[in-house]
Amino acid sequence: MAELLIDPKIRGWVFLPIVVITFLVGIIRHYVSILISSSKKVEMTQLQDSQAMIRARLLRENGKYLTPQAFAMRKHFFNNEESGYFKTQKRPPATPNSSAMLTDLVKGNFINVLPMVVIGGWINWMFSGFVTTKVPFPLTFRFKPMLQRGVELQSLDASWVSSASWYFLNVFGLRNIYTLVLGENNAADQTQSMQDQMSLNAAGQMPQDPKQAFKNEWEALEIVEYKSALQNVCEDLLASNSHEPIENNIHH
Amino acid sequence: MMNEDLSFSEARDVLRKWRDDNERKSDEVVQVFEYCLADKVKKLGNEKLIILEQVFIASLDCGRIKLAEDCIRVLISEFPESLRIMKLKSMLLEALERYDDALDVLESIIKRDETNAGPRKRKVAILKAKGQIGDAIKEMCDYLKKFMSDQEAWHELCNLYLMEGDYNKAAFCMEEVLLHNPYSHLIHQRLGDIRYTIGGQDNIEIAKSYYAQAIKLNGNNLRALYGLYLCCNHIALSKAQIAKRKEAQKLASWALQKISEITEKSTGKSSNLTGVSALEAAFGNLDIKTN
Repeated sequence: MAELLIDPKIRGWVFLPIVVITFLVGIIRHYVSILISSSKKVEMTQLQDSQAMIRARLLRENGKYLTPQAFAMRKHFFNNEESGYFKTQKRPPATPNSSAMLTDLVKGNFINVLPMVVIGGWINWMFSGFVTTKVPFPLTFRFKPMLQRGVELQSLDASWVSSASWYFLNVFGLRNIYTLVLGENNAADQTQSMQDQMSLNAAGQMPQDPKQAFKNEWEALEIVEYKSALQNVCEDLLASNSHEPIENNIHH
Repeated sequence: MMNEDLSFSEARDVLRKWRDDNERKSDEVVQVFEYCLADKVKKLGNEKLIILEQVFIASLDCGRIKLAEDCIRVLISEFPESLRIMKLKSMLLEALERYDDALDVLESIIKRDETNAGPRKRKVAILKAKGQIGDAIKEMCDYLKKFMSDQEAWHELCNLYLMEGDYNKAAFCMEEVLLHNPYSHLIHQRLGDIRYTIGGQDNIEIAKSYYAQAIKLNGNNLRALYGLYLCCNHIALSKAQIAKRKEAQKLASWALQKISEITEKSTGKSSNLTGVSALEAAFGNLDIKTN
């Protein structure tokens, strides 16, 4: 196949602008999200609940170092039928359409989805149909839809990259540059925030419902069997040192 | 100290290191700041404010009120509304012993953000400084009802109870700390101390186990060894079962031997071990009585 020659103007007016645009959009996103983000207000009860859960978990894991009485006392505090913490603390289930969550959702959409659609659409409209660059290695035919979006040419070699695909490569590939420029934990990276949203939808619901979490913890604590770790420690001490001869046996 | 001739970047790095490691080197911090950084505060850039905070706390620690006031003036002009700065302000008032004003500031912080743990703890600290241990305990209990996995607070409450001589409650608090750090020999040893102080057959048995666990975790814990010795001594002298007394005796002699090994190692053989020999004498007495 004959080698394609690309107009240098494509480099100047398509290839580089796409890089610059995606980069700048990321920077703007970062600062806009700082501007409109509100510090998350933690509810007092929520905090208290999570602390109680941590304490119960520690009791389960390390309770064996306590005396039987101390262990029973703490278990009673959490699990007693009438007065136990997990039984008496009734929390209303979290309402997903509370106004705070709603504004958060709108804000999230505003910074994540909107620019994605607008800039993506604009790039597609503005720079569609250009072959911008070529990856320096041969690729198989199956890469064509990935790298040549917007340019449906049967005979074009698969290592050529179209402008729309170049845009997507930039969107996903600029993360490290952002960390370099803006530091860790910046809000510029779209893919990151999309992942966050996904996981929020999937797993975010769980800790929202303290009732269920309490029940789980209650169950776990209920089946824990107390077994003292200090029971035989004195014998262990003596046994581990028994091979050493006791020199001054005074009590003989 | 060498601190006077650090270069600018060295001084900045050493301050950062102390800040990250949470080291309380107040004297050094103030010294480094005054000799190396005070004239070049503007050059610090991003770190300027956090260094000022660090120096502020250090200077309060050293009683350098003038320097502290200089620091906080810059911070207030930068963040007039910040809760973090308000907490620093209350600390300054505290250092000036204007406790009531400090409490007012802390109250207003808590009102604005009730999940903020810092100001609540400061309130306890103020009460403790005023000598109102009972009130401090009450405040701390309220705090711990909400923040129940704050081990630092449990530890402090333990100390407060110890000041009041309420050993049972102190033991409870120490157990709570133990749940967080089951592998710390010092906490096991401390629990042993408390249990031994409470006294009584059961408690001494428990103290023995905790001391033994402390020794198991760190064989060089001399205090735990002494504690173990005393506990075993007590048990051997008590009216417990013969087997138990025999075992306690064995353990006591083992502890004693271990103690003398450690002291010999650290002091050299030649020195006369008066402490150990006194214990040996005590043990000799015990021997006569039990046989």
